[in-house]
Amino acid sequence: MVPVRATFEKRRRAKYISHLDLMRCMQRAFRRAGVPIWFTEGFNPHAYLMFPLALSLGYESGCECMDFRIDGDMSMEEAMTRLNSVLPPDLQILAVAAPVRKHTDIAFADYAVRLDCADAATSAEALRAAWEQFHAQPEILVEKKTKRGTAQVDVKAQAQVTDVQTAEQALVLKLRMPAGTSVNVNPGLLTDAFLAWLPEHAPAVRTGMMHAERLAILCEDGTPFA
Amino acid sequence: MNLFEKIEPLLLRVQKPARYIGGEPGSIMKDKSQVKARFAFCFPDRYDVGMSHLGMKVLYAVINQRPEYWCERVFAPDTDFEALMREHKLPLYALESLEPVKDFDFIGFTLQYELCYTNILNMLDLAGVPVWQRDRGESIAPIVCAGGSCACNPEPIAEFVDLFFLGEGEEVDLEVMDLYVRMRDAGATRSEFLKAAAQIQGVYVPSLYDVSYNEDGTVKAVTPKDGAPATVRKRIIENFDKCPAPESFVVPFSEIVHDRAVTEVLRGCLRGCRFCQAGFLYRPFREKTPDTICDQAKKLIDNTGYEELSLCSLSTSDHSRIEEMMDGLLTFTDNEHINLSLPSLRVDNFSTGLMNRLRRVRSSGLTFAPEAGTQRMRDVINKNVTEEELMRTCKIAFNAGQTSVKLYFMMGLPTETDDDIRGIIELAQRVVDMFYEMEHRPKGKPVQISCSIATFVPKPFTPFEFHPQDTREMIAHKQKILEEAVAGHKRIRASWHFPETSILEAVLAKGDRRLCKVVYGAWKRGCIFDAWSEHFSYPGWLESFAEQGLSVEFYANRPRPYDEVFPWDHLDYYVDKAFLIRENEKAKQAQTTKHCRLQCAGCGVTKVTGHPCFDYGKAAPAPSGTATN
Repeated sequence: MVPVRATFEKRRRAKYISHLDLMRCMQRAFRRAGVPIWFTEGFNPHAYLMFPLALSLGYESGCECMDFRIDGDMSMEEAMTRLNSVLPPDLQILAVAAPVRKHTDIAFADYAVRLDCADAATSAEALRAAWEQFHAQPEILVEKKTKRGTAQVDVKAQAQVTDVQTAEQALVLKLRMPAGTSVNVNPGLLTDAFLAWLPEHAPAVRTGMMHAERLAILCEDGTPFA
Repeated sequence: MNLFEKIEPLLLRVQKPARYIGGEPGSIMKDKSQVKARFAFCFPDRYDVGMSHLGMKVLYAVINQRPEYWCERVFAPDTDFEALMREHKLPLYALESLEPVKDFDFIGFTLQYELCYTNILNMLDLAGVPVWQRDRGESIAPIVCAGGSCACNPEPIAEFVDLFFLGEGEEVDLEVMDLYVRMRDAGATRSEFLKAAAQIQGVYVPSLYDVSYNEDGTVKAVTPKDGAPATVRKRIIENFDKCPAPESFVVPFSEIVHDRAVTEVLRGCLRGCRFCQAGFLYRPFREKTPDTICDQAKKLIDNTGYEELSLCSLSTSDHSRIEEMMDGLLTFTDNEHINLSLPSLRVDNFSTGLMNRLRRVRSSGLTFAPEAGTQRMRDVINKNVTEEELMRTCKIAFNAGQTSVKLYFMMGLPTETDDDIRGIIELAQRVVDMFYEMEHRPKGKPVQISCSIATFVPKPFTPFEFHPQDTREMIAHKQKILEEAVAGHKRIRASWHFPETSILEAVLAKGDRRLCKVVYGAWKRGCIFDAWSEHFSYPGWLESFAEQGLSVEFYANRPRPYDEVFPWDHLDYYVDKAFLIRENEKAKQAQTTKHCRLQCAGCGVTKVTGHPCFDYGKAAPAPSGTATN
């Protein structure tokens, strides 16, 4: 039995696959690929597949993780080649390796969020200025849905803004968010708060589409989860 | 023009966006500059319903298997996405190329139920294609076509569609596409192409037929013009065993109604239940050999990665070699952790051997369809199922550890009395009693009999096409009787629906061409997704009928004499009207007709095929004088 941690990308059309659907999609891919994946034992055996960190619907990523075990005579490289030949082009495995860290070691995730200007009436500089004003607030309280109803959290305290740039008609933020099995904060909490804040405080600034990408999954010491 | 950039900003604002972006494993991509014709296969309902439909998968594979043609999928957007599409002027697009449907050569709709008709208009409108056929002009593309079971009486949508495919599409769809490419390349107009296409067997071009009416509103005559045939005969696949079946499916990301591999095991039905349109429309009965079925199922599982395999047919247990077929399938499904499910089982040939094979793979409850509560009523509808058979089958299921059984019934059947309705609950109670009389009954869970009671809809090409449907008041009365009958029966659950959708279904099933304006008016009043109770608006339909001076009762509740010209009489589904009349007369006497394997009932099929449907040997020869064609 060979434990494998696969790193895969989820882009373009594939970014609209929900987490639940991704599990099913991958299980079927293993069967199509003829990769002998290990099945759980017990009354209702099913293919053993673990995704240590869910990715929000609509987010792109080149650093997603999936753990499985090969139960038979096949190298993990062969498994990767076979899986890629049956997976959609927007959902491809980039690397396979033996797992090193435990799932519980995951502590942070890095994201890039690009917020487009609605049209030429809003400049990237104006959008950036609005952002700076928004982010200068002492605290940014948002409602967060939890298993036990909703809770108020200060998303400013949780999100580290590591970079702010303007691109052509867009604002690009780099964010480091708490992530893992116990705490998980979506960068959308911060950007949604910003979008909700705009009409009252900077009504001239109009935004368009938001593109978000997960750049890395990190452990407590800042090293990539591998 | 790829619409990805326009679609993307809208996706995160709607429910289940994966339905609208394609890219699923198994979807077929081609280079549009390398293909000669493009076919947009439209299912006029939501993705999760349409993606469950086997016919679409079959024709998708058949068309795409030709390198010069590209077939893509299109579904009706849900109302949230439709609103955004209209607001942002995003036209209806196909899921493979993400290109507008209006740029395709063919826009083809599958007609699986009558209550999807307004969705067809809505989809054409979203595509930016004129909904009325007469408004599409003389340029040849796009050709709006339709096929599927409701094409047997397409008159209520005849003025929206350029051509209909009657019967099985595997061959005729390609013949029409071949003709189209030849004529388009020679510069033909739409009407020139349609005239030529009407000469192909199985193609019905409604604009080439004039319909006249009597003063009482019934059809006087349907008159062909421009050389169109007086009757249009459906198409069938002669060698069904050798007919190519899809080797792969598009495997959806999001959950759909039937998310599994499906293999067709037989086509047609030998039973002749008098209420069942499919049982007459899909004749003759043809089966695939166990080897073919196992090969096709295995390929499909390998190529899709599905963990569940289902067998598809009108009556799977009527396959002459079912146990051999099941053994073949179980050898690989057991090894590979595949669940095998068998819908459409009958109670009269459900054996312990079959149950034992099923037992290894399924845990959910069993469903059977006695259809009626009393033996007299079952004889009228020619269900040919006795109470003993139902009891025996339920006993087999209980012995195997099952404690819940679902039973399907109908109400509003011809000659039905209040006692027949009460008989439904009485029958269910006798199943319950039988359970408690069993010495070795399953312990732990109490027995549960669920009865689902649908309102009967008389359909064309059945012996009951002459019958009126029960009025709303009669149905309400019978539902009240049911309610009283089931009260106090703890182990029986009975469910039924409001009758309005069944009434509309009856109207559209037996309607004429004048209903096109009613369908249009209903759509204009916002009626879409009529098959969904949360969307269905009966008042909108009633207003539209009133506007055209037509009544629901004329179509649904009027007995139709044998000599009346029916709106679908110029369409030939192999089954003779004389046979349907004979069967209806037998129904009135509660006389049954044997199933086709026991004795040929002379339905008319052999006159077309030129040979008996079964090898009867010496015991039961087919009636003489049938092979005239």
